[in-house]
Amino acid sequence: MLSAMTAAASMFPGILFASEQEKGIPKGANLDWKKGPCRFCGVGCGILVGTENGKAVAVKGDPNCSVNKGLLCVKGYHQTMCIQSKDRLTHALVKKNGKYVQTPISEALDIVANKMKETIASHGKDAVAMYTSGQSTIPEGYVASKLMKGAIGTNNLDCNARLCMASAVAGFLTTFGADEPMGCYEDIDHADYFITWGNNMAEMHPVLFSRMLEQKSRRGAKIIDFATRTTRSSTASNRSILFEPQTDLAVANAICHEIVKNGWVNKSFVEKHCNFSKGLTNMGYGLEDNYKFKDKPEKIDFKAYKEFLKDYTPEKVSKYSKVSVKDIKYLASIYGDPNKKVVSYWCMGMNQHTRGTWMNNLVYNIHLLTGKISQPGNGPFSLTGQPSACGTAREVGTFTHKLPKGVVMNEKHRKLAAKIWKVPYERIPAKPTYHATEMFRAVDRGEIKFIWTQATNPLVSLPKTSRYRPAMEKESCFVVVSDVFPTPTSDVADVILPAAWHIEKSGLYGNSERRTQHWNQMVEAPGEATADAWMFIEVAKRMGYGDLFPYSEENHVEEIYNEYRQFHEGAKHGMAPLEVLKKESGAIWPYVDGKSTQWRFNAKYDPACSNGEDFHFYGKPDGKAVIWQRPFEEAPEKPDSEYPFWLNTGRVIEHWHTGSMTRRIPVLHQAVPNAYVEFHPDDAKKLGIRNGERIKITSRRGACTLPASINERGLPTKGQVFVPFFDENMLINDVTLDAFCPISKEPDYKKCAVKVEKA
Amino acid sequence: MRKRLVIISFFVIIFIAFITIWNFSYREGLEEAYIPVVDETHTGNFIPSESGVFKRFDGETIDYSKMPIDENHQRTLKDYYKNRAYLGAPPSIPHSVAKERSLGGNTCVQCHQSGGFVEKFNAYAPITPHPEMINCRQCHVTKNTNNTFKGFAFRKKLSPKVGQGANNALLGSPPMIPHKLQMRENCISCHAGPSAPKEIRVSHPERVNCRQCHLPKINEQPQIDTSTFKRQFNNSNED
Repeated sequence: MLSAMTAAASMFPGILFASEQEKGIPKGANLDWKKGPCRFCGVGCGILVGTENGKAVAVKGDPNCSVNKGLLCVKGYHQTMCIQSKDRLTHALVKKNGKYVQTPISEALDIVANKMKETIASHGKDAVAMYTSGQSTIPEGYVASKLMKGAIGTNNLDCNARLCMASAVAGFLTTFGADEPMGCYEDIDHADYFITWGNNMAEMHPVLFSRMLEQKSRRGAKIIDFATRTTRSSTASNRSILFEPQTDLAVANAICHEIVKNGWVNKSFVEKHCNFSKGLTNMGYGLEDNYKFKDKPEKIDFKAYKEFLKDYTPEKVSKYSKVSVKDIKYLASIYGDPNKKVVSYWCMGMNQHTRGTWMNNLVYNIHLLTGKISQPGNGPFSLTGQPSACGTAREVGTFTHKLPKGVVMNEKHRKLAAKIWKVPYERIPAKPTYHATEMFRAVDRGEIKFIWTQATNPLVSLPKTSRYRPAMEKESCFVVVSDVFPTPTSDVADVILPAAWHIEKSGLYGNSERRTQHWNQMVEAPGEATADAWMFIEVAKRMGYGDLFPYSEENHVEEIYNEYRQFHEGAKHGMAPLEVLKKESGAIWPYVDGKSTQWRFNAKYDPACSNGEDFHFYGKPDGKAVIWQRPFEEAPEKPDSEYPFWLNTGRVIEHWHTGSMTRRIPVLHQAVPNAYVEFHPDDAKKLGIRNGERIKITSRRGACTLPASINERGLPTKGQVFVPFFDENMLINDVTLDAFCPISKEPDYKKCAVKVEKA
Repeated sequence: MRKRLVIISFFVIIFIAFITIWNFSYREGLEEAYIPVVDETHTGNFIPSESGVFKRFDGETIDYSKMPIDENHQRTLKDYYKNRAYLGAPPSIPHSVAKERSLGGNTCVQCHQSGGFVEKFNAYAPITPHPEMINCRQCHVTKNTNNTFKGFAFRKKLSPKVGQGANNALLGSPPMIPHKLQMRENCISCHAGPSAPKEIRVSHPERVNCRQCHLPKINEQPQIDTSTFKRQFNNSNED
């Protein structure tokens, strides 16, 4: 292993990068370097933070971290600058008679605990809710879950990862029965082709993209960008293929059609390791309150699946997807060539999709039909957006239906949780309650009377904030916001709790490749800013659950992690012990006998495989993965004569999510000080719009005015406009639609109909 | 007689068949000449202006990482600024030109597209970041006299500082870009290779995606009023 890594390093000298940075540091500087994961994005780069006199003064890439091998992106290099922002929340603020009054933190936590107790006493357990984050650390997510589900006994816990990863989770569970990617980043070093599905990796996962570019120039690996917008990724790739929004479903099926038609199916793999199933169709879009959906899977055979694919000939699909027949066949031929190793990458393009679960299933279909999965350089890889979307949201399970292991609906899982938590198992309710969107609808309806948000900014990041901002402002709901900086969400809070930032506390994150990463506190938090986990524990104690939270303030991260590890014991999900994580730059689970498992389900690498075959999809009871019959269905709202444009939203490399951190880093703000709306030059010409002109974007839900950007950073397809969502002063989510995937409940931020006019 | 008739009608049938087939194939041939007019909904004609950063990494042009550094013939920043009237001005041509009547597309670009050592000038030809613009002499002029027409009060603005700490936000963090990017999107044409001024030559030209780490420090857009959210409290830290 080590020798392989040194070999890799000598083959790719450019990759060892941190020494480069050393040159920029004055000789006399006496910096203390401490390791940790980066605060931004789900790639999980290893960072080294240089501290001097108790202040973070430098950041460099950790050359010992196999994720990034010393390289970072511009956000990572400057991340510690945000904590010195002058409007940092340093003390608790409590709203009294319409004014915020600085309050000692212990008093503020009393208020929060009392309010929670009162609300439960007068309105029941399900009147209180907690909304956490894929940026919460593992211990934070764990105590949040234990407090809500184990101590209070309500499933009113969901998190912002619902807005970004839920479809990926549902895709993994429906196809494999086990969440998170089977491969790892090392796939990049082996693959011949990288196919990115609606994913601008050059900006969103820049370090991984740089690793791909490196393979492109050194080995001639090819990058194919399949997207609805021409971006930096498209221009850096070997081929850019554009499609009409929502038709990725059809194109994926057309690729399968070609694979079947041309006899490229890996027959023995499919026979041994795959089942075929279909589910319900015409599921709706969750636009109405209290929308409910449950899929009814039904087994089918290969013949029926082939029959279904007949509707998806490249010729038919080409007509509405606007992808040429040639391009569809080209994509299929890459997947179909048994001598080519292919990795598919995707993130929000496929997940934030009203048929997001289906879309994930369909890409798995391609890899399963061709048997290109769970091998070095071969596999589907779902990328994450937040540093611990995997580690916390998905593994600890801060969703309404989840437990640290399994789901609340399963009695065995509830019993295990109750045993480790030392609570009566009847206390954990068996029915999930509100997913993210529905949670804020319930606030609007007045059902939820108390909500506590942590490390997230829903009033910028939710879809259709034009409904949920007034909802949160209502007197009927008491709002507690824990954050590091003031945000539009803390603006509606009744109590604002000052949180410690990333390096001001110890913690653990889990990245996209199942890597668990630990860091120790590096600097002191200012004022009374406190680690989120500790604030949860303090409130739990004040509510009378002290015996369930017997952790010490100095050592709670360690104590909580050790308790949490019990949930995942075994070869399928064993987590690395803390001593290992403290020494190394993370370890990949399943961590078995002192070893990370890089490729799951492959008997050569994964000790959990037990069927005696080369592959074992042990997530499913019969050890077989499922190839799903999922059709193309239209988007809930399409451009029409009144609202003639598609609206797509997303991010830019400089800013991370709602910008509450990155906008407070001067270099990043100066590079991209505000949001904008991108037009296709032909559309701009037709409408007579010039670059920089102020444009009002209106949907059936709200409006937003932004400067036009024509042919700059990105280029949407004709008939589409694109807006980055980081800007709290130009809230594009007032315009977006809160339709979601009925299976995963993840909203679609990429498609709704708008009209544009000069403001 | 009857036999003759059969033979004649046989040839007539052959002839008619020939005419039909010939006619058909002639029409088919015409079909081929038909060029379908497709509504180019996804025009590939546009590429985002920012994509220039990747321009020289198509695998066919220069592999900068393999280029040795020729210490004896390297340029300095002083040389670089010498033939620029002001920061960001198009450089003037410091040598005589072969064809006065040419736009430059066929002549200048011969050396300035890919660079290389030029015996005559004992130097490496600087590489242009925009080889696709072939009317070179539109912006770049020769210098045929050292005199000025009249006295001259214009003073060159000092060039941005480079080196340790000059453009870094944090200790050792990647330096920001201290100049504008218009027509200079392709970073490595000036920052890599033997003709790059030694002070600004990048140590890692193979890292293609320059703007992953280096951002423009100069904001090209006008500032927009960003005051939608006024905080309802005065934070103790805020002055």
